[in-house]
Amino acid sequence: MELQDIYYNSSDYIETASGNKVCRKSVLCGSQNIMLHGKTIIQSDCIIRGDLANVKIGRHCVVSSRAVIRPPFKKFLKGVAFLPLTIGDNVFIGEGSIVNAASIGSYVYIGKNCVIGRHCVLKDCCALADNTFLPQGTVVPAFSIFSGNPGRFIGELPECTQTVMMEHTKSYYQHFKPKMLKS
Amino acid sequence: MSASVGNFDQTVTIMPNAIVCREQTTIKGDVVIGSRTIIQPTVTIIAEKGPIIIGESNLIEEYVTIINKTDQPMVIGNNNVFEVGSHSESLEIQDNNVLEYKCRIGPKVKLTNGCVIGTMCDFNDDLTLPENTVVYGPDCKMRKQLERPALQTFQLDFLSKIMPNYQRIEKPRKGVKNDEK
Repeated sequence: MELQDIYYNSSDYIETASGNKVCRKSVLCGSQNIMLHGKTIIQSDCIIRGDLANVKIGRHCVVSSRAVIRPPFKKFLKGVAFLPLTIGDNVFIGEGSIVNAASIGSYVYIGKNCVIGRHCVLKDCCALADNTFLPQGTVVPAFSIFSGNPGRFIGELPECTQTVMMEHTKSYYQHFKPKMLKS
Repeated sequence: MSASVGNFDQTVTIMPNAIVCREQTTIKGDVVIGSRTIIQPTVTIIAEKGPIIIGESNLIEEYVTIINKTDQPMVIGNNNVFEVGSHSESLEIQDNNVLEYKCRIGPKVKLTNGCVIGTMCDFNDDLTLPENTVVYGPDCKMRKQLERPALQTFQLDFLSKIMPNYQRIEKPRKGVKNDEK
């Protein structure tokens, strides 16, 4: 199935040299600590909290509107810190999801309105259905689908997930076009 | 980044040592924010008629909405945590409560001490939650926990150290009452 073109106002988005498209209406705190590896789309009203700890997001990721990405808080024996958060390549994060995970692998699909609790680990090639809540410290294995509140294993993904997610995020990027001004 | 600067009414009082980020934060009406309270970006606090009084050492995270639609004052005690996306219209929240991600509590609910409202719970019954109640799951089940949720003092200290390096902070000030204008 071919994706339909999604048009955006070119004045609302900044395109960087490596092809990242970042909405001006998003809230990127501590932008010197946020690393986008290229061709990543950050849509409106997203929050990425780079001021708390480093946030690394791979290539060809899509962060939909109103998503919140904030590094998790960890209390150690001596002192406290926010742990750095890494997100792999070709990851799709749906609208209004809250990502508080420790790490997210590559080729991961996260639906709408999900909540990923503190220190969760999402391995490569896994998926979360819409409205899933992963409690603190959940590990989602590769090729699994999690759903519900609290999130439970409901099924397996086929072996072609990697290709599917690559195709999906790449075609999303290609169809995310600036609106042509009528002249 | 050309982020929109906060939207604050003149009637807002911010006590010394409180940290209120200005980025996309909206605070309207008669609101008092106690000292050592941390308000992160994109928070909405609206006092439509009655005032909102927020105590000390509260942590209010992103996309939290606190609205007082009634004439009575809304009082929030000390050491409460409002996690990302929570929505509160409760008129009485005492101390050490935790409102987890994306939960909603309505105007009739009253929280005493040490209560936890679980993630995505939508709770609007006419009752006062006894101490240390935990509301959890999609059906808003209730049970009692033996101890209170841990205090977030470490997190508050850490945040109050690093936030001023990155965020624009609203300065402490005394609000002007409407009738004094």
